[in-house]
Order: sequence, then structure tokens, then C-alpha cells
Amino acid sequence: MSTSTLTETPAGLRPRRRLLRGLPWLVVRQHRTALACILGLTVLGALWIVYQRHELVQLLDAAGWPEKEVRHAVDDTRGYGYTTALLGGLPLLLALFIGAPLIAGDRENGTVQLVTTQSVTRRQWLIAKLGLAYTLALVSGLVLSAVFTWWWEPHRSFFLSQWIEGPVFDNTGPVLPAMLLFMTAAGITIGTLVRRVLPAMVVTFLFTVMAGFVWDEFRVLLGSTRMFTYPLDTELPARFAESYEVDRWVGNANGELFGWGTCAEATEKAQNACMKEHGIINSVIEYIDYDQMAAMQWTAAGILLAGTAILTAFVLWRVSRRPL
Amino acid sequence: MADTSTPNGTPGSWALEARGLGKRYFRGWALRDCSFRIPAGRICGLVGPNGAGKSTLLGLATRQVEPTTGELRIFGVPVDDPAVMPRFAFLGQEKPLFKRFTVADTLRMGAELNPGWDAAAAERIVRSGNVPLHARIGTLSGGQRTRVAFALAFGKRPDLLLLDEPMSDLDPLARDEMSTLLMAEAVERGTTVVMSSHMLTELEDMCDYLLVVAEGRIRMAGDADALVPAHTLVTGVTRDGSLPPELDRHTVVETRVQGRQFHAMIRPKGPLPTDWETAEPSLEEVLLAHLRSPDAPSLYPQGARVDAEGTQAA
Repeated sequence: MSTSTLTETPAGLRPRRRLLRGLPWLVVRQHRTALACILGLTVLGALWIVYQRHELVQLLDAAGWPEKEVRHAVDDTRGYGYTTALLGGLPLLLALFIGAPLIAGDRENGTVQLVTTQSVTRRQWLIAKLGLAYTLALVSGLVLSAVFTWWWEPHRSFFLSQWIEGPVFDNTGPVLPAMLLFMTAAGITIGTLVRRVLPAMVVTFLFTVMAGFVWDEFRVLLGSTRMFTYPLDTELPARFAESYEVDRWVGNANGELFGWGTCAEATEKAQNACMKEHGIINSVIEYIDYDQMAAMQWTAAGILLAGTAILTAFVLWRVSRRPL
Repeated sequence: MADTSTPNGTPGSWALEARGLGKRYFRGWALRDCSFRIPAGRICGLVGPNGAGKSTLLGLATRQVEPTTGELRIFGVPVDDPAVMPRFAFLGQEKPLFKRFTVADTLRMGAELNPGWDAAAAERIVRSGNVPLHARIGTLSGGQRTRVAFALAFGKRPDLLLLDEPMSDLDPLARDEMSTLLMAEAVERGTTVVMSSHMLTELEDMCDYLLVVAEGRIRMAGDADALVPAHTLVTGVTRDGSLPPELDRHTVVETRVQGRQFHAMIRPKGPLPTDWETAEPSLEEVLLAHLRSPDAPSLYPQGARVDAEGTQAA
């Protein structure tokens, strides 16, 4: 540092932090605001969940759980509302504020040209950009998913949301990181195609909303449903407490199924007559068991990661084939 | 490094060399059948009307645009080889910079992304314009921003500097300052400069080599000093209101009939009739004549042309 050639360089210009060099330094410097916001949100969210868990554990300890039965619904607390809002909104935030402007922003400001006429190729630059966005999505997803799972899993009986519902299924295990990666990739792809920041963000927003609807329908399809038949006038056995009921029928002794409302008549007399006519003696449920959750989550994560890989390959192909 | 002004034919002595270069967009050919070469160490002006293909040519040279046909080499290295990247620097019309970066950040970017970065030179250029190092790029004036862009370009220590209308958005004072800076730095390092410009006078002052492009084709390439003497302005009497047949013996760039007189810019191929008045045109007149008549025959003095096989055409 004190060689004669460097003495002309004033201390202010000499890079003090040598942690990052080259393109990684550039992309971090360029996106540092967005980076700080997402990382800050992740840390605050994680601390908030840890605090929530601590509160819950204290409450349950005081009430003597698990020896005594405790009636408590985490979903009714304000803290849970904030947590699910953050976790549910994070894919949108990443797609909108990291993904969409990642390429479109440089394209719009002409800074693609600035960077790729230094001594780095377009592909190197793109890989650094994608690396930053995906690392951010992955870190954020892993941290939040880990703490949320840690809160939810041992105390799931106090959560009103079922395990297959969005607030739980999408925010625990491998699904959250995979979802964040996929949504970021979707934003990047849209930004690459649209090439302007604001339109790219609008399209990304619409895509995220649509994808949310599709995903809500899709989740159930990940598991394979099973049937369970039990006598009409008995309760469903307790072991199904954590199962997700997909559908419910009534059936006769021959195993024929009828819709749940088949004999919903105005009077009990008419109802009994109807049941007698069809020979209905059983209740039948179609369900997905809780023990399928892990497999379903990994399948979901696999699908999302495959989608991420396809979108990434497309972006790389398009950017290196066509000038930006 | 080739710093000779009279290239001897070795690949490295040509700063830029195009063979059958062409680029077609959806609309059609932006640049077609371009074969030319620019010797190392020269300040080359790239002249042509809007949409002539100047920016496309510079885009091809800076790897922003991929050619449809042909090839382009910078100091003998094909432009599609990443090894060419440290050898050139580019300053575009827009001079894009990261607006939220400080000047110091911008120079650090140059240092981080270029292997042969010359921090002292870049900083000297910035300091000599009194640009504060900790100011954000977005707060600088147009002239200051151009200076930072220049610093970034020269800090890269390029052998070839490509400039696309570098002064177009500057006020006369800043333009003068930047021209001086450009010439001083280029001369000091022996950098080859290729700059496109609308300002013909600017080119006349700065450039010693010219590449004239019109309608996607090269019209002229060669030494500025050789191009002008090759042309003559003649004035004579028309025959029955039309041009005299003697004119056809010479290469005619442009003609104008005015009453009983005609004016023509020609490249003489022999003695001229004694009753014609002759005059030597200025560089500006030659360029304008060529730009107005894109169908006029091209001119390549001193072997600036390479044919598709790469041998030097006469």
C-alpha cells in the first residue's frame, strides 16, 4: 500500500473494505439499498418470530401444556398477522423490487453498456447480477423459513391455519426459499423481456397475483388423497385431527358414494326416507394426511426450483444471444 | 504495441479492420459490405448523416451489436473474443453512468472491472476539472459527467478509444475543454481514437484520418490529408444546358447546373480542359459533397480497403 506508485492515490479513494472485489462489489454497490431493505426485513422478521415463539412458550408453560389442555389460537394474535403478512408479501417484494428492475433498470439507464464495455463480458455481468438476486432470495428464505418452522412445528395445534394452507405450507420447510427464488427469477425474466422498469414491475405484480391464485389451487394436487369410511352416526377418529379433508361423501354398504348433500331434505322424515332409499350407512372422507406434508413440500420446492432453473436458462440464453 | 503511423501489414498495426462487415435489423441493412482498416495511432473521424450506420459500426466494435456478416478485428483480435475487451474503451452518446454512485465509486468500478487500470491517470483527469470525488454522479453538470466518463475511458488504458458523438451535448466551453483533454491524452499514450461526429469543423481540427459512411456503406476511408487533394472543384460552361461529356472521364462526386454554368466536384483522372476554372475544396466541402451524393464512387486511398480475401486492393 505504500509503494511509490500508490502514494499519489489519496486515502479516500483507496478501497478500505476488500471483502468484495470486481463484479460482486459492483452489483452489491449498485443494489445496496434494496439489499439492505430486504436483509433488514429478514432480520427484523426473524427476531419478531423468535419473540413470538418465546411469548407462546411462556404462555403454554404457565398454563401447564402439554400435561394440561390449553385453548389458545395463535392466529388471533396481532403478531401472527404481521408475521404472515411479511412472509406472504416477501415473494412479491423480491419479484417487484429485486427481480423486475435487476436487468430492466440497467437496460433503461444504459448502464449495461457502461459495464459491458469495461473488461467484463455480458455473461459475466449477468451471472454476477443473478448471483446477487438469488443469494438474497435464498438467504432470506432459509432464515425466515427456519425460524417460522421452529415456531410452528412443535406448537401446530395452536395454529388455526391447517398445514396445507398457504400461511403454513408456503412459509415452512423448503417451500419458502424455493418460492422466493422462483418469484425473483420470474421478476428477472419479465424485466429482461419488458426492458423498462415500471412496466416490468406492473407485469410482475400481475403475474405474482395470478401465480398466487394458481398456487392456491395447485397445492392440494401435490398430495395423493386417501379415503376413509366410518359409520354415519360416529365421530371421525382422533387420528385424523391433523388430516386435511379434501371432500366428504355418504356411502352405502356396496361402497357406492353419494354427495354429502344428497339427502339434505327439509324434514327429518324425508331425510330418513331418502337415506333408506339409497341405503346410506357410512360417512366417507377423502383426505390428505399430515405425514404427507414433508413429501408435498419437497415436491413443491422441486417444481419451483425447476421453474427457477428454466427461467434462468432462458434469461442467460436470451441475454447472450441478443444484445440488451 | 503498434504505434506506427505507416503500418507494415502485420495484424497488430491495424487498430480496426473490417472485412465484409454487415448488420441487418428487421428494417433492413444498417451496415453492409464494410471493408476498411484504420491504422494504429491515428485520430479517425467517423462521418455520416444520421442513420448512416455510424452507431451500428461503433456498436459492432464494442460488442454491443453482433454482426450479421463479416468480421471485425481490433489490433488483430476478433471482437467476439473476450480478450479484446481490455484493449478498447467506449464512450457513448448518452455517457451512461450510475447516477447514485459517487465519482470515487465510479472510478473504483473502473479499477474493479479492468485489469490494467491506471488510477493515477483517471484521478488526474477528474481532479483537473475540479470535480469533487465525493459528489454523486447525479448532481454533476453535463460537462463534469463527461469528464468522469472520459476518466473512466482513459483509466482503462485502451489502445483504441471509440467515441460516439462525445461532445454533442456539451456547451462550447466544455466541448473545447474535452477536445483538448482528448487530444492531450491520446497523443501522450499513442491511443488510436475513432470518433463519430456531426461537427465537420471539429473533425477537421482533430482528425488525421477519415471514415465516411452513408446509407450503410463506406464512402471514403483514408488520410484526411490525402482525401482533400484528390478532389477538385471545377466550374465551366454547359453545352445546351447539360453537362459537358469531358466530365465523364473523371470521377464525378457531385454536380450542379446553374444557368449556363456548371459546378462539379470531381476526382481528376487526367488533365482538365483549360477553359474550366478549378479550385481546391475544403475538407468540409468534400465531405458534404460525398454525403449529399451517396451514389458517388467510393474512395480508398493508401490501401485503407481490404477485400474479402484480405489482400490489399489498389
